[in-house]
Amino acid sequence: MPERRVVITGLGLVTAAGAGIEPFRQALGEGRSCVKRISLFNPDGFTSTVGGELDDFSARSFVPKDYRKAVKVMARDIEIAVAAADLAFRDARLPTRGTDPDNVKLPSARLGCNIGAGLICSDLNELGQAVNSALSDGHFDMIAWGQAGMQNLTPLWLLKYLPNMLACHVTIIHGAQGPSNTIICGDASGHLSIAEAWRQIARGDADAVIAGGAESKLNPMGLLRQSKLNRLCASRNDKPASACRPFDAAHDGTVIGEGGGLLVLEGLDHALGRGARIYAEIVGFGAACDPLGADVTRPTVGGLDLAVKKAIAQAGIAPDRLGLLVAHGTGVKAEDDLESRAWQTALGESLRRVPAVAITGAIGSLFAGAGAIELATAAMALHEQTIAPTVNFERPSPDCPLNLSSEIRSQSLDYAVSGAFSIGGQSAACVLKRYEP
Amino acid sequence: MNPRRVVITGMGTVNPLGHDVESTWRALMECRSGVSRTQLFDARTFPSTFSAQVRDYDLKNDVHNPSRHSHAGRHCRFAVGSAVQAWNQSQLAKWDGLDSSRVGIYLGSGEGSLDFDNFISLLVDAWDQNKLDTVRWAKLAYERLTLHREVEQEANMVVAHLASEFGVRGPAVNILTACAASTQAIGEAAWQVRCGDVDVMITGGAHSMIHPMGITGFNRLTALSTRNNQLESASRPFDLTRDGFVLGEGASIIIIEEYAQAKARGAKMLAEIVGFGSSADAFRITDQDPDGSGAAASMRSALADARMSPADIDYISAHGTGTKQNDQVETRAVKAVFGDLAYKVPISSVKSMLGHLIAAAGATELITCVLAIRDQLLPPTINLHTADPDCDLDYVPNAPRKANVRVCMSNSFGFGGQNNTLIIKEVL
Repeated sequence: MPERRVVITGLGLVTAAGAGIEPFRQALGEGRSCVKRISLFNPDGFTSTVGGELDDFSARSFVPKDYRKAVKVMARDIEIAVAAADLAFRDARLPTRGTDPDNVKLPSARLGCNIGAGLICSDLNELGQAVNSALSDGHFDMIAWGQAGMQNLTPLWLLKYLPNMLACHVTIIHGAQGPSNTIICGDASGHLSIAEAWRQIARGDADAVIAGGAESKLNPMGLLRQSKLNRLCASRNDKPASACRPFDAAHDGTVIGEGGGLLVLEGLDHALGRGARIYAEIVGFGAACDPLGADVTRPTVGGLDLAVKKAIAQAGIAPDRLGLLVAHGTGVKAEDDLESRAWQTALGESLRRVPAVAITGAIGSLFAGAGAIELATAAMALHEQTIAPTVNFERPSPDCPLNLSSEIRSQSLDYAVSGAFSIGGQSAACVLKRYEP
Repeated sequence: MNPRRVVITGMGTVNPLGHDVESTWRALMECRSGVSRTQLFDARTFPSTFSAQVRDYDLKNDVHNPSRHSHAGRHCRFAVGSAVQAWNQSQLAKWDGLDSSRVGIYLGSGEGSLDFDNFISLLVDAWDQNKLDTVRWAKLAYERLTLHREVEQEANMVVAHLASEFGVRGPAVNILTACAASTQAIGEAAWQVRCGDVDVMITGGAHSMIHPMGITGFNRLTALSTRNNQLESASRPFDLTRDGFVLGEGASIIIIEEYAQAKARGAKMLAEIVGFGSSADAFRITDQDPDGSGAAASMRSALADARMSPADIDYISAHGTGTKQNDQVETRAVKAVFGDLAYKVPISSVKSMLGHLIAAAGATELITCVLAIRDQLLPPTINLHTADPDCDLDYVPNAPRKANVRVCMSNSFGFGGQNNTLIIKEVL
């Protein structure tokens, strides 16, 4: 296990509840779902017409004035990451080139950036405009496209959609010149990014790293792909707030949300040196995969049981020391069942005792954006010694023996575990610990 | 903490010059160009009409049961083939000590190609005046787009296919830091072995952006060479007349494992990974930091990790894309790190022959470093005939060279400012 201790000192969340920790905490606390009918485009025609959409969202208010022009070349996924980074650094009170340029103390080479991202969808109206300028006889014509059509795309078009541009803009805005990575591993991306950041700090390659993930699949391609995978709830389009019901007896598919989270991780020495508030310490990580995951017609949780076992072993604890389990809880029945079984395998008898929570009922499935928000939920619980309720959890599914509750629970917590898995069969889990000097 | 040592015990590649390691190496030694007219689609009116394509690759040549990968996209097939070559060379399958939960995968693999014809036809057929009619689009898309073509575009699907091919159950990660991806993947994979999370990693990268939207994107950025009448000499890194890179495609996968394990099971150790460095320019989305400080930081960090000094480096495999900016900045960065030694250490760009394999470039170049150590031969930079005063180092121009090579440095710099450097050395 790495010798240098690493702690979480800042949380930046962007969810359908709003920007920042507070609106997210409130929504969970009130048991309120932020899922609504999709308004970004007309969703009629898709099997699911609801989503965890960001209202009136733009990164403009989260970037320094001299960088506002660049927002034009940011896909929505990038804007989410840029906003989350600003929120996280401010929450950590860690001055950067972007938040407080006159008071930066951390050398830029010692600040890293690891962001999980997904397959970014091009703006179909923008691309459609160009494509429809290159037709002959009503069909797309490659010759016309090469000659003139492509000129209708802005020269920087490609840069809107390169997945490493989330990290790229964040590093530029905040002056992060340390190690920088972009992890694209579906829903496991957030945990993987944060764990890698932990290692980078522990091995001495950085003193602080901003890490997590962001994604928006709330676009026609995202909806289409997820519904082709039979993962979306199609039965509650008239009752959007109740659509995503992780581990509930009436779970019937997931809901696409958009958003993400970025966490500020620091070496404990660095955090203490500047008198930072510490949410939690990261003490265990495990990752695994399902060798049959390439067959996407078959549900999988990516060997989550093995990932969780490794994370708990690395934390050096027995499962009964866990005070909280943050489940991935997609709300897809087959996945909820398999996930429950994986936790059961990993935690054994302790499963029924350890309080659990899932956040998708409130904000939907955030894919690469999910993991960091799940870990932020765990970190907040450890910091406040309070466990949020699970939105839309009313009647437990008999196949899901997790200890969820629709009420807030206050209790003494020392350790929390969180795990996630991706389509394609990769999984990752982290154990966080209440900070003790 | 005393990190464990990491060695390479298998290598495989499918690229524009060859469908395996040895034929690729021969082609590089013969100074052959992998560049030709683009045939994957009709690019005749594009600003760049040529690319470095993988020709006639058949997965059956490498894979016993290719049906398991029947839905795999183009770059994924290259990756599976490369990985099987590497896995076979490592002989891990014949070792009874293999624990599948201690084997991981860490790739720098790109997104799969669009289902182009269907995707584009939807934009045309659901177009209403000035915008997309999403209701009509949805109706048509459910009919025309298929599950597998769509899902296989997710960049983590290559990892999934490799896990399936080898029954892997350990950590599985995919990253995509543009042109630096597979160098970074190997560096981070090595760290997972070093710190004891796993004993074996299947690592490297795969990518194909030779499709209409890929070439469109790079052409709009004016990043590609447009020397349509001199295509075999279009990729000319460090030459004064260079006018951009040539887009390539392919995959390269290596097997890395913990030294003591490799030794105990009698594996042939091809090289040791001794240093990894990573940095970000944090400069601009369109340009590299012109003083090369990001690239230099990456090289310095790799040297520090390897506990080496510039004098220990016998050869540098350049990022060397052939764009005006990259080659100048890279030269400046090498000078900043190596000082006077910069003029003595040979540095070359195999992209002059292979084209730019984007996410797969770094792993491919690392394989050439391993072969340089094995054969004591440096691959050349071809098409280098006109000296650029800003690029005045020894780029091993136009012919391979005999040399004493024990330690190599390999650089990759991603579009967007991610810089990564690996250092490998011979295993004594």
